[in-house]
Amino acid sequence: MNGWEFAAALTLSGGVGGTLWGVATGPLRRRVVAQNLSTALACPALLLLAQGYDRPSYVDLALVLALLGPVGTLVFARLLADELAEDPPRAWGVTYAAAGVGAAVVLALCVATGPSRALVKLLAVGALLIGGNVIASRALAGGFRGVRRG
Amino acid sequence: MNPRTTLLDTLRTTPLLDPRRTLPVMAELLAWWAALAVLWLVFISTVDPLELAVGAGAAAVGALAARAARRAVTGR
Repeated sequence: MNGWEFAAALTLSGGVGGTLWGVATGPLRRRVVAQNLSTALACPALLLLAQGYDRPSYVDLALVLALLGPVGTLVFARLLADELAEDPPRAWGVTYAAAGVGAAVVLALCVATGPSRALVKLLAVGALLIGGNVIASRALAGGFRGVRRG
Repeated sequence: MNPRTTLLDTLRTTPLLDPRRTLPVMAELLAWWAALAVLWLVFISTVDPLELAVGAGAAAVGALAARAARRAVTGR
């Protein structure tokens, strides 16, 4: 087991494991935030595994997850809008902590990759990961309540 | 149709035949296409002519979809 795989194991067990616990227990406002954070933490874990196994094509998994995770959260935010309006989530601390984990992992992988097309791809994954999850968290907290419901 | 409307008027009001409207539309599609093609170029692992051809085609379809989505959101 190399350092990348160890970091991936830590992220998976501590981060994703913790969010699974959060999804399975507690009130709705906690479950939706944990659901959002589970993809935000699984994505860096997949990036670390791709580096650990030296299989650059595995980065595509992280890319797809970074794109579809926040989209899934937006669906929950829409479907549960009424319940969440009564009891909105307030979880910016863990949201920014997860974004920080993502940023740190992407930065470390960028340093390891060096200047190349793969580095641009990593940066794109990082931007999707962090931007998507901040937007999804804002939607869960009711930040887009002014948006017209179609 | 108004009987005083000439054929030229009809052509001008058809969006893609009016140069004043065609240019912005083509410019927007070209900008989307360029951005999506660059994204494709970054995401593929090996660069070869077939990949570039498929990427150019996919970016063209994506540019049409992106403009349609942009118009649906901004309502213009």
